[in-house]
Amino acid sequence: MIYLDHHAAVPTPDAVRHAMEEAAAAAWANPSSTHAAGRASRRLLEVARQDIASSIGAAAADVVLTGGGTEACNLGIRGLAAGRHRVVTSQVEHPAVAQSLRRLGSEGREVIALSVIEGQPPSANELASHLGPTTLVAIQWVNHETGTVFPVHEYAQACRAHQARLFVDATQALGKVPVDVGVLEADAIAIAAQKIGGPAGAGACWVRRGVDLEPVLEGGSQERGRRPGTPDTLSMVGFGAACRLTRERLAGQTRVTELRDRLEARLCKLGGVVNGGAHRTGTVSNLSFRGWDGPLLVAALDLEGICVATGAACSSGLQEPSAVIRAMYPHEQWRAGSAVRISLGIETTAGDIETASFAFQRVLARAGPENLN
Amino acid sequence: MGSGFQLSRVPFSGTNGVIFVQYRSSMSEEKRVLVAMSGGVDSSVAAALLHEAGHDLVGVTLHLWDAEGEQRVGRCCAPEDRDDARRTCEHLGIPHYVLDEREAFRSHVIDPFVSDYQAGRTPIPCVTCNRTVKLTYLAEVARRFDANHVATGHYARLERASDGQLRLLRGRDADKDQSYFLFGLPQSTLDRLLFPLGQLTKSEVRTAGRRLGVPNADKLESQELCFVPDGRVGDFINRQGTPTRSGHLVDSGGTVLGHHDGVATFTRGQRRGLGLGGGGARYVLRIVPERAEVVVGDDSQLYDHQLTATDAHWVTGRPAGTFQGEVRIRYRHRGALGHVTPTLEGFEVRFDEPQRAITPGQAAVVYRGDEVIGGGFIA
Repeated sequence: MIYLDHHAAVPTPDAVRHAMEEAAAAAWANPSSTHAAGRASRRLLEVARQDIASSIGAAAADVVLTGGGTEACNLGIRGLAAGRHRVVTSQVEHPAVAQSLRRLGSEGREVIALSVIEGQPPSANELASHLGPTTLVAIQWVNHETGTVFPVHEYAQACRAHQARLFVDATQALGKVPVDVGVLEADAIAIAAQKIGGPAGAGACWVRRGVDLEPVLEGGSQERGRRPGTPDTLSMVGFGAACRLTRERLAGQTRVTELRDRLEARLCKLGGVVNGGAHRTGTVSNLSFRGWDGPLLVAALDLEGICVATGAACSSGLQEPSAVIRAMYPHEQWRAGSAVRISLGIETTAGDIETASFAFQRVLARAGPENLN
Repeated sequence: MGSGFQLSRVPFSGTNGVIFVQYRSSMSEEKRVLVAMSGGVDSSVAAALLHEAGHDLVGVTLHLWDAEGEQRVGRCCAPEDRDDARRTCEHLGIPHYVLDEREAFRSHVIDPFVSDYQAGRTPIPCVTCNRTVKLTYLAEVARRFDANHVATGHYARLERASDGQLRLLRGRDADKDQSYFLFGLPQSTLDRLLFPLGQLTKSEVRTAGRRLGVPNADKLESQELCFVPDGRVGDFINRQGTPTRSGHLVDSGGTVLGHHDGVATFTRGQRRGLGLGGGGARYVLRIVPERAEVVVGDDSQLYDHQLTATDAHWVTGRPAGTFQGEVRIRYRHRGALGHVTPTLEGFEVRFDEPQRAITPGQAAVVYRGDEVIGGGFIA
């Protein structure tokens, strides 16, 4: 099996697995308990928090641990939305952000979604034209389906100049581009363990000190009242261990990009058309193939032992045409229905790319002159 | 090779004697087989039997329609059905994929279904679905998956004739036989199909399901159309956006006897739901959509000696002249003998005995013994 779906989840590194195994034995107690058993859990939880904070250049006290990236996005957005009348975003956000904003819209706030035509993110100037002191900007750093990189540092400057607040969805950025909240100067960012080799169901929301973050859930006073509920120490230990490997992941990006470029060049020769624009991370190639339905191509490749995706994974097993690709290429509807996402990580080898290329070649050759439907 | 038809023995420890499962080439040559999984018992057992026989299987569930409302059993394409299909595949240890065919299903099956009802006909969407959406699409999917065959849970059989063509035969279980729905398939599609249940009865299928540990072996089944699980076709038609015109119930002389809420709720031969009190039993004789009229009369007025069918398909080619055959005029019809005369686009049937409620829109399927010769739609 060749795994090329790193944007969905990254294989668990040995260091992460070992750390979680040790924690499973040592940190079963409730970290809020005052006794010795509770303190043992608390100690591991706080080490993890420090590792998570260090991976984004933050102080541990400003990191709110959550049950995954979606919760971190919800918390960051809803937490910052108080007193904001307008929200500015892009048309290609992950559902965790897009649906949170839809909710804000239904509650009466004005939501402006800027276009990302052909993978060209909105410029800071375009963004600035919508900003004011009661604006919240909620936008992604790296697109989950295409790897398109948004100029979030420029957005942050524009937001500061207009006293707007900025939430950055950094779930696909961590481990792919350097993330440093000290340099970024956003008000809140969301990250997720699963995208860097940690377990699913572990995430974090960093909040600028002094910014009040209203909790989304009701309950106890854990996480300084910002996220009620007993933290999942085991998962957080895994998250922390994965964060310690962030530097290694970043250092591997040049090689990953070379492999991606090699694969992409071959697939373009086989008829693939690249989605996502000029400025993308080197971890992903999103391609559309005429005469194929994306889910059908993904299934056919799976049967050849190649794991790729159409886009955001869906729990029901049913995949809609990609909303991201549809928004990027509104005049080429065929692209959204026939797009596949091939995403690499530092675990990917040159041999994987060879094998995957040949599998694509075999599978694509099966499409006859007639198109489906 | 692979041209000769042969049977492979699959001994069942849990049933009486030996049951034959049908293959078209020897197993060593058999490549991958795609199994169409609806989530129901039949397709699950079909998959389990092929798996037991050693095939390399891929399970595929087509998502055709979004279930509406809170219907208890057999909601069409409901998440529960997808889950059941996936559970069976997990049980067998085979991959399972859900493919979205909602668009094709709407344009090729639902839209014509609605307009047929509005035109006073009683359509048979399963025939159209098998021909234009389900099996034809799956045959193409099989090609993309490098699979030789598509297996389904239909109760029907295929047999290779000496001229190389495939003959479509009734399933061995006369009660469950589904060959009626399959007459429209071209040879190129038949050539890809496997019907592992063709030689089995329903009770043998359930027994096999339990023996093989199929998770949903005792699941209830709906006899209704998959997209109208509550059987209320009139309501379904109205939900699709264009309510049919209300109008009058009249007798054959044109006398107004009552009022109805739309022609789409009526079908020829129907007795219930006319809302006509008093007098003898009355039945729908015909529907005149342009006047929104439903003509009612006695049971004796429902009998006809002949029918005309259009849009015919002949499984192994159009027969040269008139021949005697057995014709089924609806799925639950036992079949009646008559003389069948192929025409350019359809055929005429002259029945030996008059048949009750020959209904426009339904399929007329012509058999000779167990073999489906062809079929068409009643004009």
